[in-house]
Amino acid sequence: MLVVLLALVFAAIELLPGDAATATSERGEGAAGIAARRHLLGLDRPVWERFWDWITALPTGDLGTSARGERVGDLLAAPLPNTVLLGSTAFVLTVLGALALGIWAAARPKGLVDRAVDLTSTAAFALPEFVVAIGLLLVLSLWTGRLPAATVTGADGSPATWTMLVMPVLALTVPQTGWNTRIVRGALADQAATPHVEAARLDGLTTRQVLLRHALPGAWPAIATGVATSTGMLLGGTVVVETLFNYPGIGTVLAGAVADRDTPVIAAVVACSAALITVVLLLADLVRARTLGARA
Amino acid sequence: MDFSRRQLLAAGGSLGAAALLSACGGDGAAPAAGGSPRQGGTLRIGALGRPSAITRDPHGTQGNESDYLVIALVYDTLTAPGDKDNTVGRLASAFTPSKDLKTWRFTVAEGAAFHDGTPVTADDVVWSLRRLRGTPSGAARLPGVTADRITADGRRTVVLVSDYANAELPLLTRLTTFVLKKGTADKDIPGAPGTGPFKLDWYRDGNARLLRNAHWHGGAVHLDAGEVTMFQSPQAMANAMLSGQIDVASNVGAVAARTAKARQDIRIVRRPDDMAMPIVMRTSSGPFADPKVREAMKLLVDREAMVAQVLSGYGTVANDILGTGDPAYARDIPQRRRDLGAAKKLLTDAGFDLSRTYRLVTTEDVAGLAESATLFASQAREAGVKVEVVKQESGAFYQKTWLKGDFYTNYWGTNDSVVFFASKTLTTGAGQNEADWSDTAFDAAYRKVLATADRTARTAALRGLQRIEHERSGYLLWGMADGIDLAAPKVHGLPKLPGYGRVQLENVWLAP
Repeated sequence: MLVVLLALVFAAIELLPGDAATATSERGEGAAGIAARRHLLGLDRPVWERFWDWITALPTGDLGTSARGERVGDLLAAPLPNTVLLGSTAFVLTVLGALALGIWAAARPKGLVDRAVDLTSTAAFALPEFVVAIGLLLVLSLWTGRLPAATVTGADGSPATWTMLVMPVLALTVPQTGWNTRIVRGALADQAATPHVEAARLDGLTTRQVLLRHALPGAWPAIATGVATSTGMLLGGTVVVETLFNYPGIGTVLAGAVADRDTPVIAAVVACSAALITVVLLLADLVRARTLGARA
Repeated sequence: MDFSRRQLLAAGGSLGAAALLSACGGDGAAPAAGGSPRQGGTLRIGALGRPSAITRDPHGTQGNESDYLVIALVYDTLTAPGDKDNTVGRLASAFTPSKDLKTWRFTVAEGAAFHDGTPVTADDVVWSLRRLRGTPSGAARLPGVTADRITADGRRTVVLVSDYANAELPLLTRLTTFVLKKGTADKDIPGAPGTGPFKLDWYRDGNARLLRNAHWHGGAVHLDAGEVTMFQSPQAMANAMLSGQIDVASNVGAVAARTAKARQDIRIVRRPDDMAMPIVMRTSSGPFADPKVREAMKLLVDREAMVAQVLSGYGTVANDILGTGDPAYARDIPQRRRDLGAAKKLLTDAGFDLSRTYRLVTTEDVAGLAESATLFASQAREAGVKVEVVKQESGAFYQKTWLKGDFYTNYWGTNDSVVFFASKTLTTGAGQNEADWSDTAFDAAYRKVLATADRTARTAALRGLQRIEHERSGYLLWGMADGIDLAAPKVHGLPKLPGYGRVQLENVWLAP
């Protein structure tokens, strides 16, 4: 699967106009100079041949060389941890927020809270990251001056203060929490209709006990799948959010690499993201298997 | 926004890299209203850049302004752009030609030393210039001077021999002639000591901290330190400026200036003649080959409207001559103004086909470029000329249109030298002759300029050259965009020179 995906990445970049040699050339550079660099970068070889070289080196941990001659591994070494920090913080907050809101709403079906959560979660999910980001920027930074508007890094390459993480994380968390809250709420509603949850309620257990001990366990598989899907969307959102907040992560590297037609860099970012998403999906499957297995 | 091309061009061209400096040229730092310069403080400056384009090599292609800024502060070029003189000394304290204007002798400034204390010798300069000449675009950076004709004469004299008489050779050394220590290995380049006003404290992923070089040969540096933060987008940089995270947002553009306008606590610094966005018409073939047609196009454009709308007013009207920032720019050539009647008459005389639609190719490489094409198209329609704007993606544009198209927009950051444009884009057979123009009178005027040692005579020759350019070249230059920086009120002595003049920070000081 991953190999096919990466092959598609190579093919897609091949279809874009221009190539890495022209994209990174100097304006004064002559056609001969560009041709020489094209040769140096191997761009004069067929795309499948370049793909084969790249993909066969991948298992050895070699991510190739960028159009500007940097090792791709080195290029991603600093931004990757920053993106993982940003993404995982947003992920954890999303899961906690969605569970709390979903359960709170499910406590009183059709109650005031339920309707309010329903409305806001739909609205939140409908908001693209950049709209949330710009709203946060205006309110928290430009108008009130409570938070720094952009990320500035120190000598070690990470954000200078933790406050610079707040808005990027929120911009990613808000839409995804909207999405996951609806999944949690929906899964709990499905569970509420099952005989064993109904029986528990009739037994006179408190709402809290019914929800947490009887409904939630059955809802885990659906929740895990929904949350796992969020991983991909969170990673996608980082490209936008990192640029808006000047956050030094792989999203910004990717944006530049696409402009440069820098295939090895793009493929490496895709491979890293795909690997991450695969791991999360695998975990979600494990949760499913465990829950369903225990039931069987 | 893709700012890299612009830089590129800069690096390949003249640029001024020079950035550097004026110090020797003096005068950059006329004490402004803030009183006299004060020592100390750390300047936090934001500059654009992309992580994928980061480079540390002073002789490479600096696609990022952030890298260029850092490199220009750490290393010196031989000469620099100046205010009254186009070329002033930097690492070279003097430069003198031979009688035939082919041999130039540069003297290394007294007291020039690397950051580790080693004095700069002619050998270091020779080694650096040869390394520069050996880069892929070396031939464009030091045209007419091959590596074996760059030699040392004693400890302090560097001799450059040109293949042809060239009175403007020192102009070329304002470019990227950054000097490193002889024999610096490629792997040591990122941390190699320079001779510039600042030395590197640390550099990380495009961001850097620089410390004052107390022993700089060019004079006293006011700031204790400079912190460079790389921003990916002008918007993020403007936000950082508005929220007080940086003191200067370098080259942030007109959009940010509009945002900042309402803020009393932010100063908008305009650097005139920063960027040209000419419309290029092919002169050798196609519908614009007839000089009458080209003149008609130059007459139908409403220059004031272009400056007001495309540049939000942050710019000035131009007169179809490139190099508006040149001290020898011919201001006395009458300004061409809109004249639809004359334009229509010229088109009729030339037998221009008004039933056809002409494609004007543009890109979105810099802000305002595509807008300029669109506005021009609507102005042309008022004269009965149908123009269709075609936007091309940057890579495709440089591959298919640039240097080849009949009708396209373009941009240049090197506007402080008429000769630069003449040699790079206007003489017959020049490598970047965008309009494929060939004019014997112009070529003769150009050769005369290069071969004239006397300054007054050269200025007169230069004027003749500009007159021909104004009359019939393939460039419709409607206006010049200002370079725009945002600065906190406490920042004084910011550079005002166009193009790469903006990275000269040694005269900057901070009010308490």
